[in-house]
This record gives sequence, structure tokens and C-alpha cells, in this order.
Amino acid sequence: MADRRREVAEKLRFFDAGIWLGEPAGFPLAHELPLGRLGEALRERFLSGGLVSHWYGKVSAQDGNAVLMQAMEGCQEDVYAAWTALPLLPGESGRLPGAGSVPSKVKAARIFPKTHNFSLTSWCVGGLCEWLVSRHMPLFIWHVETDWKSVYELARTFPKLEIVVETQTQKILYHTRPVFALMCDCCNVRLELSNFAGQGFIEYAVREFGAERLIFGSFLPVNDPLVPMGMILDAKISETEKSLIAGGNLRRIVNEVTS
Amino acid sequence: MSDAFIVDAHAHHGRPGAFFAPESEPEALLKLMDQLGIERAIGTDHVSVFEGCERTLPMLRSVFEQSGGRLHYLAVFNPKRASGCVEALKQAMNWPGFAGLKIHPSFHGVSAEDARYEPAWRFAAERDVPILTHSWSASDYNPAQQLSTPGRFEPLVGKFPKVRLVLGHAGGRGAGRHEAVRLARDYENVFLDLAGDIFCYRLVESLVDSVPVEKILFGSDAPWLDPRSRLSHVLLADVPASAKARILRENALHVYRIGAKKTC
Repeated sequence: MADRRREVAEKLRFFDAGIWLGEPAGFPLAHELPLGRLGEALRERFLSGGLVSHWYGKVSAQDGNAVLMQAMEGCQEDVYAAWTALPLLPGESGRLPGAGSVPSKVKAARIFPKTHNFSLTSWCVGGLCEWLVSRHMPLFIWHVETDWKSVYELARTFPKLEIVVETQTQKILYHTRPVFALMCDCCNVRLELSNFAGQGFIEYAVREFGAERLIFGSFLPVNDPLVPMGMILDAKISETEKSLIAGGNLRRIVNEVTS
Repeated sequence: MSDAFIVDAHAHHGRPGAFFAPESEPEALLKLMDQLGIERAIGTDHVSVFEGCERTLPMLRSVFEQSGGRLHYLAVFNPKRASGCVEALKQAMNWPGFAGLKIHPSFHGVSAEDARYEPAWRFAAERDVPILTHSWSASDYNPAQQLSTPGRFEPLVGKFPKVRLVLGHAGGRGAGRHEAVRLARDYENVFLDLAGDIFCYRLVESLVDSVPVEKILFGSDAPWLDPRSRLSHVLLADVPASAKARILRENALHVYRIGAKKTC
């Protein structure tokens, strides 16, 4: 049973939307993943690469982005950066999506509206969203950092914005009713899978919304990539659908980002 | 089904109110078990978990029988309805498929060390049946979890050393894990199951390094969590195959004493 899973996992070339550097905040049992161990950690969990974020971006967007780029210098892995973003205000300095030049390695933006005290309304984040749309850059957001009404309104206001709702840092299970309703109504919303682990969720989501709407993510090193991986390896869906979810969808999004 | 060998030591069935579950009935669980090589599961329905076992045991017996002896059941002891639960337990004790008791201090609002649980422990001690309990870490956003932190079970674990206690969810994702590991090390009668969203990186490797491997049981928490989310976590973990075999089957058969009887 293990050998077959290993073989399929290698073949699917998982591409992870949720790899985190820095010291995990709020998870007392989780340990920082040292950059020197990143490659080994990816390989031992069958990951071919992915998007890397930095915990420090939650403390300070600009400083977190700077630390992340410094950490990724010389990194040989097939990994790209997800920067922390803020509403674009005149005078906001530092390294931010939409403010000055953004390195080509940056392929996604993530916002923390609750932590950074801003509203997810168009009059507040509209400039940022327009900038992201112009670069085909996806917007990532933890579900605990917002409310469903705000995500819905944002998705409807910016139908060309790729929004990836992440299932962290608490389980998404209790939110399945609004999540599925949101997915039904807003084609530009995708769901990251690190904690999308209810019984039959993958089959249901593929059947109702399509495999294109699901993005593999692990939340490494807080969570184990083997968890969402197991959901995909054993899913009763086609090999093509597995391949899209494992990495095809995210690779396509990353490849379409313009610098 | 012929090569099924896994035992899921922590499952549920029935429609939960708290979330949308596309697959939650016993038939769906059995179908998934067939697909994954899970021979049998041990658990309860959702109504029992919240209310207690007074009304639900005949239904659970019926589900067991209809499942061909694969969906074993636990009787949920609600300390707020202790006498009714004990009467129901006495009736069900020798029914086919009965595998033990379950307690849930967080749902029932009664702290794990409370004397109101003693009738359940006494019942388990006198009849050599195990108790599965919910356990978790103290949580900022779910204060009721404070009632189920592993250390709170210690007085009754010590008082009833022959009762096998399974700490469901192995103490959760926070400091409760350390307490759970300590109890499993210090007390012969304490075991840990892997059910729930304890998706922590290298969890299986860490537990195998921390407690004797015979103390760890595979569990899914279905349908809250899909067994597939945990199965690869164990199967692909960097631990010896012998440890995986114990976790996936043998430990549950030992704790719940269901290995020897061929059911139905």
C-alpha cells in the first residue's frame, strides 16, 4: 500500500502553495524549517516545489517580504515567493506588491486583513486588486483572516482576480456551507487544500466545481504534506484531475504571472 | 475487502449539524473502508456524541449487524445523565459489536476529572472494557477544550489502573500533546489515537519516537475528517513497517479486544 502511494506521489509532482519559512506563530509544537533543509524536506514529502512565504510577513509585510527574498537568494529549488500585500496607499514604503519593482520570483500575494487592520472592500483594497489583475497575480487569503461576505463581494467586484482561499489556520470544516456556496457563485475563487479534509470533500468539490478550482497546499512545516496528499492519492477522481489538483493548476497560475 | 486489514479506531456516522458532510452515512463509510482496505471501524453516531447513549444503542447495534460486523460501536456516557447511561450500558454490554465507552468532556461541559465520570470508569473497570475520550489542548478560540486537556484525566487514570483509556486526538495540536505523551509513557493503561485534525508535520515519526509504539492507534474521526487524510500520513511516514502494522491494526484490536471474536 505504501509503495503504490509513493510511486503515484512521485509521478504527480506535487507543487505546494503553502511552504513557510520563519518561526511559526501560534503553533507551539511546530518548528521552523531551516532554509538549508528546505530541499530535503520537500523531497522526503514528494514535493517538487511550490510557493514559499515567510511568517515574518504577518508581523510586518515589507520586512517579511525583504527577509523572504534574502532567504530565497541562491535557492536552487523549484520555488517561488508569495509576498505579503497591503492596500496601496500613498507613502507606504518598503517592498510590497504594487509598490515599485517586484522581483520575478514573486508569483503570488497574500493579505492579512484582520491582522493588519484593513477592510476587504473595494474602496480599500481596490488599487491592489487592480494591480494584481494587471499582472495575473493571484491573491491568497487565510479564511480566518476574513469573513465570507467580504470574500464574496471582492470576488464579484473583481471577477478577473484569482482568489485562493486558504484553509488555515483553523479547520475549514465548520465553514463548508459558506465555502461551497462561495465556490458555486464565484468562478474566480479557488480553494487551497491543506485542511480541506472532510470525508468525501475532494470528490464533492471536483464534481460540483471542477478540479481546476482546487490547489494543493500543505502549510509546511506546521502541517504535514502527507495529509492533503493522501486525500488526492486515494481520491475517486481521474488521473488528469489528480494531476491538476496536485500541481497543474498552481503551475499554470504561476506561469501566467507577468513581471 | 479480502486484503482489508486496517482498523479505524475512531469514527462517526450520521448527519452532523455543525457542518455540511457530503458523505456521512454508514453506507458511505463502508464503501470508503472497502476502497482503503479498512476492515472495521470503531465509533459512534453523532446524536450519541452530543446526548449520550440512552436512546441510540439499539440503532448502533443495528448498524453493526447491517455492516456485516464491521462498524463496532461505543456507548457515549454523558455525566449529566449518568444513571440513564449506566442502565443503557448494562443492557448493551453483551450485545454484538459493543466495543466500549466514549466520553466527551468538552461537548458535555463537564471537566474530565469530575467525579460524575466515576460511574463510567467503574463500569469499565468491572467489565474490562476500554474508554475512548476526546482530548485536546487548551484553545483560545474554543474554551470548552480546556475541559478535555489530557492532564485532567490523570486522577481517574490513576484510580482505575486497569481501565484502558484512549486519549482521542492525542491531546490535540498544542501543549496538550506533551501531557498526552507523558500520560502514555507513565501509565500502562493510557493510549493515544491519531484521529482529528492533528495534521502536524512528522506527527507519526514524533509519536513513535516518544511513546511505545503499542500505545498509538490509527483513527480518522470520519466524517469530520476523511480516513484518507490520515492513512497516507501513517503509510508514508518515516517509521518501520512493523510500527505501521501495529498502529494501523494490532493496537486497536488489543485495546478494544475485538480481534479474537469473528463478528456476525
